[in-house]
Amino acid sequence: MSIRTFAAIFIGSYEVSLKIFELSGKRQLRKIDHIRSRIELGLDSFGMGSIGYERVEELCLILKEFRRIMDGYHVDDYRAYAGSVLRDTSNELFILDQIRLRTQLEVQIISNSEHRLINYQALAFQPEFEDIIREGAAVVDVGGGSIQITLFWKGKAVTTQQIVLGLMRIREKISGIQAKLSHYDAQIQEMIDKELDIFRKLYLKDKEIKYVVMGGNYVWDIMHQHQGPDQRPVMEGEKFQKIMKKLQKKRTEEIARELNFSNEHDPLLLPSVVLYRRLAEAIDAKYVWTPGLTISDGIAYSYALENNILKNTHDFDADILSAAMAMAERYSSFSGHTEAVRELSVTIFDALKRIHGMGGRERLLLQVAAILHDCGRYVSLVNQADWSYQIIMASELIGLNHLERVMVACAVKYVSYPTVPYEELKDQLDQERYMVVAKLAVILRLSNALDRSHRQKFKNVRAALKLKEKQLLVTLETKENIILEKGLMEGYTDSFEQIFSIQPVIREKRILQ
Amino acid sequence: MEKQKDFTKSEYYENRELSWLKFDARVLNEARDKSIPLLERLKFISITSSNLDEFFMVRVASLKDMVHARYKKKDIAGMTAEQQLAAINRETRELVDIQYNTYNRSLLPQLKGQGIHILPGHEDMTGEQAEYVDRYFQETVYPVLTPMAVDASRPFPLIRNKSLNIAALLKKKGKQEKEEIEFATVQVPSVLDRLVPLPAGAEGERAFLLLEQVIERNIQQLFLNYDVLCAYPYRIMRNADLTIDEDEAEDLLKEIQKQLKKRQWGEAIRLEVEERMDKRLLAVLEEELHIAKEDLYKIPGPLDLTFLMKMYGLEGFDELRYKPYKPQPVPRIPAGEDIFQQIRRGDILLHHPYQTFDPVVDFIRQAASDPQVLAIKQTLYRVSGNSPIIASLAQAAENGKQVSVLVELKARFDEENNIVWAKKLEKAGCHVIYGLVGLKTHSKIALVVRREEDGIRRYVHLGTGNYNDSTAKLYTDCGMFTCSETIGEDATAVFNMLSGYSEPLSWNKLIVAPIWLRDRFLKLIRRETEHARNGKTAFIKAKMNSLCDKEIIAALYEASAAGVEIALVVRGICSLKVGIPGISEHITVHSIVGNFLEHSRIFYFHNDGQEEIYMGSADWMPRNLDRRVEILFPVEDEGLMEQVKHILQVQLEDNVKAHVLLKDGTYEKIDKRGKRLINSQEQFCQEAKAAVPKQAHRYQERVFIPMETEV
Repeated sequence: MSIRTFAAIFIGSYEVSLKIFELSGKRQLRKIDHIRSRIELGLDSFGMGSIGYERVEELCLILKEFRRIMDGYHVDDYRAYAGSVLRDTSNELFILDQIRLRTQLEVQIISNSEHRLINYQALAFQPEFEDIIREGAAVVDVGGGSIQITLFWKGKAVTTQQIVLGLMRIREKISGIQAKLSHYDAQIQEMIDKELDIFRKLYLKDKEIKYVVMGGNYVWDIMHQHQGPDQRPVMEGEKFQKIMKKLQKKRTEEIARELNFSNEHDPLLLPSVVLYRRLAEAIDAKYVWTPGLTISDGIAYSYALENNILKNTHDFDADILSAAMAMAERYSSFSGHTEAVRELSVTIFDALKRIHGMGGRERLLLQVAAILHDCGRYVSLVNQADWSYQIIMASELIGLNHLERVMVACAVKYVSYPTVPYEELKDQLDQERYMVVAKLAVILRLSNALDRSHRQKFKNVRAALKLKEKQLLVTLETKENIILEKGLMEGYTDSFEQIFSIQPVIREKRILQ
Repeated sequence: MEKQKDFTKSEYYENRELSWLKFDARVLNEARDKSIPLLERLKFISITSSNLDEFFMVRVASLKDMVHARYKKKDIAGMTAEQQLAAINRETRELVDIQYNTYNRSLLPQLKGQGIHILPGHEDMTGEQAEYVDRYFQETVYPVLTPMAVDASRPFPLIRNKSLNIAALLKKKGKQEKEEIEFATVQVPSVLDRLVPLPAGAEGERAFLLLEQVIERNIQQLFLNYDVLCAYPYRIMRNADLTIDEDEAEDLLKEIQKQLKKRQWGEAIRLEVEERMDKRLLAVLEEELHIAKEDLYKIPGPLDLTFLMKMYGLEGFDELRYKPYKPQPVPRIPAGEDIFQQIRRGDILLHHPYQTFDPVVDFIRQAASDPQVLAIKQTLYRVSGNSPIIASLAQAAENGKQVSVLVELKARFDEENNIVWAKKLEKAGCHVIYGLVGLKTHSKIALVVRREEDGIRRYVHLGTGNYNDSTAKLYTDCGMFTCSETIGEDATAVFNMLSGYSEPLSWNKLIVAPIWLRDRFLKLIRRETEHARNGKTAFIKAKMNSLCDKEIIAALYEASAAGVEIALVVRGICSLKVGIPGISEHITVHSIVGNFLEHSRIFYFHNDGQEEIYMGSADWMPRNLDRRVEILFPVEDEGLMEQVKHILQVQLEDNVKAHVLLKDGTYEKIDKRGKRLINSQEQFCQEAKAAVPKQAHRYQERVFIPMETEV
């Protein structure tokens, strides 16, 4: 069957939604039905740290009904994800179990980075996307639990930053002072400004951002009201700010009325308006684009990619690399050395292709690890591997999921330290991923040793696998003395042999000029 | 700059109850129209009578509640509840006078002329007839009677609402009249026909006696130990409706709850007695029923004229009725064809009852057995008892389709009926939703979700009338089939909303009350006002059942003052006044009372040439705009727009069945002199017949051809 019916369920902090899609190569994604049910799980989760059984009960009833609707559409497959609202909860395992038992739905909790990637995949499918990120764009995602800002520069992702201050959290924090409506704006502003300032200083100081891509509830509808149905949802930043400024002076009921919204007492409407305005002001881009996508769209796109129903139109790998480089730059560790290590590692990786059993994704992780392997020096030259590990674990790399980030961090750590036995890492990684980390680490170690002097003494490095001799032959051209490198390398030969059953051998070609 | 005018002054508005009474008077007018066949005229009398009963039970009862609750708020026309009741009383008496005048002086003699005799009393029977009646009483009537006497040990019995009764004064046999007079009452059984056919005598003639006369004649037999001094029929109307009419303001509801103790449940609000009733007997009734003088109606003829509907159906005498009209096939949907395929070719307009309701029934029926159909969703408001739609929905559920049905239980006087078939649907496996809290679901929408080769496609039927195949033969309604993707999405969202999920933040095409509809109408009207102010052509043509929403009327006044030409066709209540200088000089109101009940709602805005036409389930009444789930849908197909405009145009040109509202608030028929007669309903019938392709009539005989032996 050429058309697949797919259901995307997302459990958010104030809403549970079910979106039914038809997926096909020809018509791409077609939305069939969108059912939203308001349930403010965030009130429990963010406020008390766990979700009370009444709300779990309510959630199960909603999901049961969703299941019925899915059956009605003869859905072929589904994905059910939960975001920060369950991630930040102490009883999430029991909740998932309840859901499984009562609705036969398998809900997965996704990490923030996965959440971002999913959103980002949907965005990348929009026809305007490539043009917009080429000119510099900040993609802002306003959720119930947090706000995420991702910067694109010259067509590639540069950084992504989470601000743990979403609508539900804001609402909770100011619920006590809500009575003074006139200061509502100021309250939210104060809360958000501090966070935005740091972000601005770190990332926006020397970049001109032309577009801000605004995602989240209401904003598309507000834009829609002012643009007319047939126009592209792009507006001048100034106009957008003006509209928001006008709106935030009104009462919730008036805003709802003006925008034809159904819920006249929506407690999230006014905070959203204030938030969108502040974000637009802070980033101060020339244009605002509201693609009107929800996480459900992302789930569907991501599923379609996974199952080869759709083809990637955007190079996500390039984004990951450029984000890694931007991060290395931020920690002043991007240099000829890291590039040399990256080149050497890739050369060795490719030469070992027939025996290492790894694929393109691992090759990408190897490069990310090579780029970041020195970033810990920013903190201290002592124990730099530990610091590198910490920095990578604390940062987000758009496009990598949580486990991949752990793999990169570990690979970097074990460039300097000997690889520890699996037992010590088993609560972080499974065996398969542990093996990948170990393999990447020795490749990196070898490459790192070859450029120990940080002087890039070699040219035209080639590597060839001699299976008969059980050797990896690395040929380099150099005009300098490489005794140091050769000596160091010998120290790593054992661990290399242990893992690949291959001995690395260096053959140098002296060139004179 | 134009001086700001106040369009909301109460003198610009007509009280809705009085306007309703004028509507009933227009119906009564039909009964007096000599150009209409005799039995049809009887039907109209019967309708005015049942209309009036419902009016008292719902509206007058409500006003009485207000008086009891000391609710002082004035209505749209600035009248208090007391003032309204007084005015209603005056107008009703006038209406009843005309009703009985027409019945006694015009219709009865004419029936006689046709050989149909409704005898005024049992005294007028021939010997043969009397004998027949007495036997009928003995055999059929007597066994079902329950006479009840009142004395010291037996309190006054409960007289059922709207039932016809006979009251009698009795005296113990052998006692002096002055000593001990007792009161007794007996209900005229509603299980028996009011009209008792008598042997007529002459060939081809018919004679009838009313059931109460049969009982009166034999009443002595009920009280064997007594002498019956006198016996007369009477009938009461009670404030028995436990629910408060939804048309009233919410604050009234609260007020009444507060004053609950003061409300007199079941109080009698109207007493009808035969004119000649004995004074002593009347005094007993008045006292026991606590009826005030102004609520007593002395009737010069038989009480409760609704029995005339039975008369209308009298066998034979077809020449005294209109030839029955057979709803015509819809040319776009040939019988037996795949209805979904036809809809895919483009939107289809249905105009009932000129065109048959069958496609709507078929739509659900075909969906029920179509293997490609995944789901059927429908709102049901008032459904006929043996509805084929319900059967199809149940069938669909049994065939494994997802069937969601929104059943509105709050439909006036229909609750019991609705519960029965709702249970039936649940049993079959349908997902039955019983409406929304605080809102009546009045919208008429059906959605079929079908999985086709190129994906899911949604087919939607939207209408102005209920999914009721019997009323579809009597009510004029419009419907539309479409498989437009945007409307399909909205339709899905409507059902999600009705199932209790969050409404979509915004809609594509449909406009849904209670939240968006009023604003949208006001916007549409004001846009027209803007056009007029900018010197552009601006007009609004609209047709509805009732118009009594203050905000809408004020917006119409403002539009008219700005120069917008507004032509309205309003069947019933109209609180708008025409011809107020500077306010409503550009507004005309027509009202059509014809053989079919006008029921469709159409709204047509010129919008500076970018014309917009909407149809839907809502009137311009507060209850439709605020307390019901209603759907207004746009007609966007150009061909369909022309058809709808034509419907409006013909109705506005009607000069046979149309009344025009005059400045002084009265309605008058249009002066036909020198004009071509246009009877819109008649014309639509002709057009529907003419539109049917000729070959559809051809009957092709099927011939079986025997096979030749092959050897």
